[in-house]
Amino acid sequence: MSRAAEGAARVRLASARELGLVSCQVCALVSRAAPAGAASNCPRCGAGLHARRPASLARTWAFLVAAAILYVPANVLPIMESSSLFGAQRDTILSGIAFLWDSGSWLLAALVFFASVMVPLLKMLSLGLLAATAQLGYARRRHQRARLYRMVEFIGRWSMLDIYVVTMLVALVQLGVFASVTAEAGAAAFGAVVVLTMFAAMAFDPRLTWDAASERHG
Amino acid sequence: MAEPRDPAELPEVPQALAEQPRRASLQLVWLIPIVAALIGGWLAVRAVLERGPVITISFSSAEGLEPGKTKVKYKNVDIGQLTSVALSENRAQVIAAVELTRQAAEFLVEDTRFWIVRPRISAGQVSGLGTLFSGSYIGVDVGKSTKSRRVFDGLDSAPIVSIDLPGRNFDLRAQDLGSLDVGSPVYLRRVQVGQVVAYELEPDGKSVRVKIFVNAAHDRNVNANTRFWKASGFDVALDASGVRVDTQSLATLLFGGVSFETPQEPGTSPAPADKAVFTLFADRDQAMRHPDTSEETYVLAFEESVRGLHPGAPVDFRGVVVGEVTAVLLDTDPATNEVRVPVEVKLYPERLRTRYRRDAVPGEPRHQALVDRLVERGLRAQLRTGSLLTGQLYVALDFFAKAPRAKLDWKRNPVAFPTAPSTIEELQGALTAIARQLEKVPFDALGADLQRSLKQLDATAQTLDRSLASADKVIKRLDTEIAPEARAALAELRRTLAAAERTLGNADRTLGSDAPVQHELRDALREVTRAAESMRALADYLERHPEAILRGRRQETE
Amino acid sequence: MTARPLIACRHCDLLQREVPLPAGGVARCRRCDAELYRSHPYSVERTLALTLAAAVLFAIGNSFPIVGLEVQGVHNASTLVGAVRSLWDQDRVLVASLVFATTLLFPTLELAAMTYLLAPLRGGRVAPGVPQLLRLLQALKPWGMVEVFMLGVLVSLVKLAHLARVEPGVSLWAFGGVMLLLAAAAASFDAREVWARVGVAR
Repeated sequence: MSRAAEGAARVRLASARELGLVSCQVCALVSRAAPAGAASNCPRCGAGLHARRPASLARTWAFLVAAAILYVPANVLPIMESSSLFGAQRDTILSGIAFLWDSGSWLLAALVFFASVMVPLLKMLSLGLLAATAQLGYARRRHQRARLYRMVEFIGRWSMLDIYVVTMLVALVQLGVFASVTAEAGAAAFGAVVVLTMFAAMAFDPRLTWDAASERHG
Repeated sequence: MAEPRDPAELPEVPQALAEQPRRASLQLVWLIPIVAALIGGWLAVRAVLERGPVITISFSSAEGLEPGKTKVKYKNVDIGQLTSVALSENRAQVIAAVELTRQAAEFLVEDTRFWIVRPRISAGQVSGLGTLFSGSYIGVDVGKSTKSRRVFDGLDSAPIVSIDLPGRNFDLRAQDLGSLDVGSPVYLRRVQVGQVVAYELEPDGKSVRVKIFVNAAHDRNVNANTRFWKASGFDVALDASGVRVDTQSLATLLFGGVSFETPQEPGTSPAPADKAVFTLFADRDQAMRHPDTSEETYVLAFEESVRGLHPGAPVDFRGVVVGEVTAVLLDTDPATNEVRVPVEVKLYPERLRTRYRRDAVPGEPRHQALVDRLVERGLRAQLRTGSLLTGQLYVALDFFAKAPRAKLDWKRNPVAFPTAPSTIEELQGALTAIARQLEKVPFDALGADLQRSLKQLDATAQTLDRSLASADKVIKRLDTEIAPEARAALAELRRTLAAAERTLGNADRTLGSDAPVQHELRDALREVTRAAESMRALADYLERHPEAILRGRRQETE
Repeated sequence: MTARPLIACRHCDLLQREVPLPAGGVARCRRCDAELYRSHPYSVERTLALTLAAAVLFAIGNSFPIVGLEVQGVHNASTLVGAVRSLWDQDRVLVASLVFATTLLFPTLELAAMTYLLAPLRGGRVAPGVPQLLRLLQALKPWGMVEVFMLGVLVSLVKLAHLARVEPGVSLWAFGGVMLLLAAAAASFDAREVWARVGVAR
């Protein structure tokens, strides 16, 4: 445990910004902030220094809204079309899950459902929540919100699962007359949703949730 | 922790570097990449070693070929794969690069053949249907040569005969291809013993050369005497000798075929070399016929219509075909301006063999003496109906006792052979005669006479009537005054009867059995009767020999 | 008393001092409990070995087909590059680029950058251009998704096992190895250490 625990009562927890310091996002060096408004670079690694991610909330909202818009076609449009001697069938994400469930692979169905449906939704809702609370300066449940952000960061990449499944099916099931699979527009939309939510998570600065503790942030 | 102070006030203390101890030996963890590298190396080496030879095959089209997918199969075992397909430099062909397995390297010899197996329907075979589902593949026929080869020319279709099939090739020459095709069967006694392998037009364009392959077990049945003919599925011959239908197997029905047979000849001849060329005849009869070595041309002048006589129609002597019609021409005699129809015929004197041997005068080219003698006896050429069904005619040679004398002029070329009118013409002539006779009968006079007689009859009848009336009166008067009136009446009656008699005598004269009119009529009727009789005879004959309608009447000695 | 370096929490910006860690220990933020840094008991050498192994396996994995499929005598097999190619040929440009980037491009760059950094480090030297590379590495970190790809392959295998005969290829195991080794290498890669050396070298 850090030594700070001993003098907990005496210590005022201050954020770096309050103290006029800036932490580099790349190399974690703490250096003195430049006078307000001026751009500065980290002395060690040369990366741009920002007290908070620039236009964090704006960009987060922008990415979230874009992802939400694309989420509709991602689920409505088919992500792949499988054609065989017996006819062609277009599958959306949900119908693919239903197929897995019907064919007895319950575990896989649950897995794909989680990865392709739950995760993006959770990400979007969580990020929306985080951004909203940060914007409004909501001060409660910061720890939970912090944990929420960490979870969002962690699981973001796993929603790419369905994209890779489609990739493999497309690559393998090219048997001419018997069976062939083509990726459809829904896959592109879904890929875009994953990328956008990842950008949104990267745009959101989690420190914003804690800023209200130190100072009022409008 | 101390009060947060401005970090600038904090003395800058260099961080103690955590120096990595230099180790001479490698740590154990390096095993992992080493192992990984070894595995990778082994896989790479294995892939390289297993790589077989790469060959190029040129095809006329890349249809069905998919680089990376199309396989090469020998006896249905994968021995390679197509790697790439490209157009040749002159854009006339497609060059396919094929990678084979290592074991297949020994297949790559001079006479190995490659072709693309696609669904194919050809003579007698439907093949390659499986490729509709599994995709086309490249088939191989491994050759026997010992010279290795890497660049091949692909065939368009599977070779009919694979190299390892034992047997022999023969060449046939035919007038036309008929219904034959590559793959058409070759039969001996209706058993398939081989196949047509290829065909091509001769360079002079006058015949077709057909190459056939006969399987090993039966190729010794082929020797220099063997006759080949087209066994096309359905032979219908409609000619002067009637209708003939001849069928073989179903395959020949669809694709045609070749049949052969070796006629039994005294003294067998040795087997011919592979390069011998046989003639492919159109049918069995022609094939098995003895070859004719000599022929003579004559010209026949018919004065009747030769409609129904075609070149190729037989010249027949009492049922034996001794020649054929070669041409039917027209000729205008400049002197008399008559149009005649000279018919050229070809006779094969060899067919008159027995006679030939007995009477032949050696050295004489046309056996003129023999023919002269026969003509003196009455040998004439006559047109006869070969078949009432088709109206085809043929030329018959026969002896006609009543024929006018004729002599052959041997100096003209071709020699004119005397002809006799045909039976139809005779019948026609007879009917014409009857018609002419009937014409001579004075039907008008007959009619006028009859009319007069009838008028007289009428008058007589009226007189009779009056007589009867007066008789009635007489009888009445007889009732009153008998004797003198009766006598007078009776006398009158007698007179009346005499008149009636006269009239009847008139009528009798007109219609009597020795009246000239009667004679005429009777003659005419006799003629008609005769015609009817001969018709009846014909009907009787037909009743007894119904086939005569088709085959013609068998000539009875007259 | 030498002051330990300052560090501001990435998630809540609280300024703190670094503390020495026991081997394998984790430093956490006082306020929000986020992970500040870890101790990396593994040496550079180990990280380098793992990285190289991952690189070799990655090369193997891309040279052979991942999985083969057989239906009615029709075979089909695909490498990862082939799969991207198929997507590209189907005009799914966006998806093809996404898959290419996350499973081929970024992991390759990651492996290359790590090797480039670590190799001279083993000899105690710092390679030129380290700051940029480290920035690149950090940027790439969230985008290398080989493990998600592996899971995707497994799911598709199960899906396909219903239709046809599935033949796992060499690459499947190779990529599995890449997944594990890359994670291990990334875990044992101590960026802080490198930064510290960079700082000193300047």
